[in-house]
Amino acid sequence: MALAILSVVVFILARATGDPLHLILPMSASEEDYAYARRYLGLDRPYVEQYFSFVGKAMTGDFGTSLRARRPVSELIRERLPNSLRLALFAMCVSLSFAFPLGVMAAVKKGTWIDRTAQVIAVLGQSLPTFWVAIVLVEFVAGRLQWLPAGGISGFASYILPGFTLGWFVVAGMMRLLRSGMLEVLDSEYVKLARVKGVVERRVVWLHALKNALIPVVTFAGIYFAILVTTAIVVETVFAWPGLGRLAYEGISSRDFPVIQAVVLTTAAIVAAVNLGVDLLYAVIDPRIRHAR
Amino acid sequence: MRSALPIVTVSLLSVALALVPATAGWAQAKPELSVALSSFSTEVLDPVLGGHVVKYYLSPMFDYLVGTTPEGQPSRDGGMATRWENSADHKRWTFHLRKGVKFHNGDEVTSEDVKFSLQRAMGKRSTTGYAGPLRTLIQDIETPAPDRVVIVTKEPTLIIPTYLSRTLSTEGMVLPKKYIEANGDDAFARKPVGSGPYKFVEQMTGSHIKLAAVDNHWRIGVPRFKTMTFRLVSEETTRIALLRRGEVDVADISRERVTELEKEGYPVHFRREEAILSMYWVLPRDGQPTADKRVREAMNLAVDRAEIAQAIFAGKADPASIPLGLSWSFRDIGFKVSPEMVYPYDPARAKKLLADAGFAGGFSQDLYAFQLPGLPEGKAFAEAVSGYWQKIGIKTKIVPLDYPGFRKLWVDRKVPGAMGYYNIANRDWIGAYALLEKMAYTPSKANDTVADAEIDGMIAQVMRQTDREKINALMRNIFTRLRGEHYGVPVVYLHSPYATSKTLGKWNPGSVMYDLFFDQLAAGK
Repeated sequence: MALAILSVVVFILARATGDPLHLILPMSASEEDYAYARRYLGLDRPYVEQYFSFVGKAMTGDFGTSLRARRPVSELIRERLPNSLRLALFAMCVSLSFAFPLGVMAAVKKGTWIDRTAQVIAVLGQSLPTFWVAIVLVEFVAGRLQWLPAGGISGFASYILPGFTLGWFVVAGMMRLLRSGMLEVLDSEYVKLARVKGVVERRVVWLHALKNALIPVVTFAGIYFAILVTTAIVVETVFAWPGLGRLAYEGISSRDFPVIQAVVLTTAAIVAAVNLGVDLLYAVIDPRIRHAR
Repeated sequence: MRSALPIVTVSLLSVALALVPATAGWAQAKPELSVALSSFSTEVLDPVLGGHVVKYYLSPMFDYLVGTTPEGQPSRDGGMATRWENSADHKRWTFHLRKGVKFHNGDEVTSEDVKFSLQRAMGKRSTTGYAGPLRTLIQDIETPAPDRVVIVTKEPTLIIPTYLSRTLSTEGMVLPKKYIEANGDDAFARKPVGSGPYKFVEQMTGSHIKLAAVDNHWRIGVPRFKTMTFRLVSEETTRIALLRRGEVDVADISRERVTELEKEGYPVHFRREEAILSMYWVLPRDGQPTADKRVREAMNLAVDRAEIAQAIFAGKADPASIPLGLSWSFRDIGFKVSPEMVYPYDPARAKKLLADAGFAGGFSQDLYAFQLPGLPEGKAFAEAVSGYWQKIGIKTKIVPLDYPGFRKLWVDRKVPGAMGYYNIANRDWIGAYALLEKMAYTPSKANDTVADAEIDGMIAQVMRQTDREKINALMRNIFTRLRGEHYGVPVVYLHSPYATSKTLGKWNPGSVMYDLFFDQLAAGK
């Protein structure tokens, strides 16, 4: 149902942005050229006919042909989606690598320099705009110091700068969530009981407490993973990364209806899949959810 | 607990490592040529889908029927036709083809391929810039011999060789008939086959197009670079970083970064006067202040072109004086911009002209402001011009809108009297004529920005005329009248900079519309 409503909305909104032929055809094109192209691309058909044609084909995975690149949209999505998925997974791993130790340590060592450092990182991560971080990294780390590639996909090294830029923002939020969750759990009765029973502190923190502080973090990570896959437009643009976000941007800027429609529907599918994955993960983390009726 | 931290961190980073495929790096061992560009336009690989805006990466892959030098002159050495002649009535054009040329799949190029290519360029699928005029002009295509093709036109004309050359768009590119018929249009659009010095290897949309050199090519000999890769890098900082790291050899850069890169020792090549930045009014002019010639002149005199060239375009631009004055055509038609034609910056005289026309108190002028491809300075430019007009009393209102939005208002004539602008790509006389026919010819209706019966008459005569000298005279008169009547506000000619690696060597990016002659850079002979 949600996908059906979404398909109508995106179909209407995509067309509200204007005539794509103004961008496809050269400035010198005549009215005849416009009529010719409109007929050939099927843009002269009534909107209702266009909509049902779009939905009918989309059900079979055929999103039509890109008006700009003149290639099947499903092919473009297949080309770009793996790049976005890989980058988002990399960024997410970077985020988790930093957020987990920092978040847990900040809670365990509350009020110490570790906690304060973690909070500074959180503030910087959320306040520094992604485009600024990306440009600074490209200019200095890639361009001046020449330590890492500036853009494009070219093996592991090329993932580091865009992955760090994307992950940096997520670290901040995730770390704060983890810290507050851990503080709450560490103060709970069962943690106190575990300590009284003589369970070693490492086991209390990393096994008993962390597991129970994970639910909001998993939710957050799930939401952000879907965002990273589908809307990393700025990072993909700066690092010349051929991903789904840039495909969406190219589609919007060239009024490429089929591409816009396909990207929105793909995004919706990814969000739905990630949400399902997160729900399943809840049950793994907390067995009470699995047994709840 | 201390020992658990590194375990978690290392394991997560290991997962990250595992996710990344171990592919080979971009870092290139020469001889490879890598070009970073800010835009690929439509990114299509089929010449009939892209038109002139994608010539820079298509030209190395395909041969044209008629060759062109980087300076824009027809060349018998650079095209499939070694010579051509026309009948006395200028309605039959015979092209003699080079023998022994093969497509990348091994098929020999024949007159049937030329005929097929031209028919395809005029067909339904085509969105090239000059498909329309060719449909109107061409009556028949004959192939009396495998190395001879005859193009029959409905009217006498001189323009056929130019239309089918590298000077204009992609209609003259020769495509493999058998391959396309056997595999279909879509397969060709994904994996094109041409006969140029470089053959297609791979494309990833939004990322790159990679070509590989043939062993030897009649046009350039043994290519200097084994591969040629065009990389789409929208962000300038990234393009420059790639250049500094030696990952690319050529990058288009903004005018404001030229000095910095030159100081670092990177050669910067300019495409001089690559475009004219011109402002024009939306028609009709009836009832508008600009219906008065003095108002149009005043608006021209009020603009300090030298200051705009310096302040907005970092000195990498020169003042322009001729509305729609595509300067690369001037050399073809023998047109010279006389000192009297150059607009001085004279706000005092501009004010007087406005007063004489009855607008001493000024008037309202809408100016649509937008960014354009290749013109990141678009909005700053509009604001600067608006400021000059406000100084002479014109109440300019800047209306922010994207170009397609403005274009619709313009062609639908919804905002008469309002102004817009465009960085019109420079081109030779045929290209200039085609532009005039769209933007200065009343019967063109939608795109017209001039509406002048005298100019209409001269434009109509150019197409019918077969005496080149008379054509040149007509074209000169058209430009003279456009300037004399102030039909637009030409502001500057833009020079486009391209930075290259320190080791690339000499490169002439030429002066042909949307072509950068990378194949000439790769010339081994």
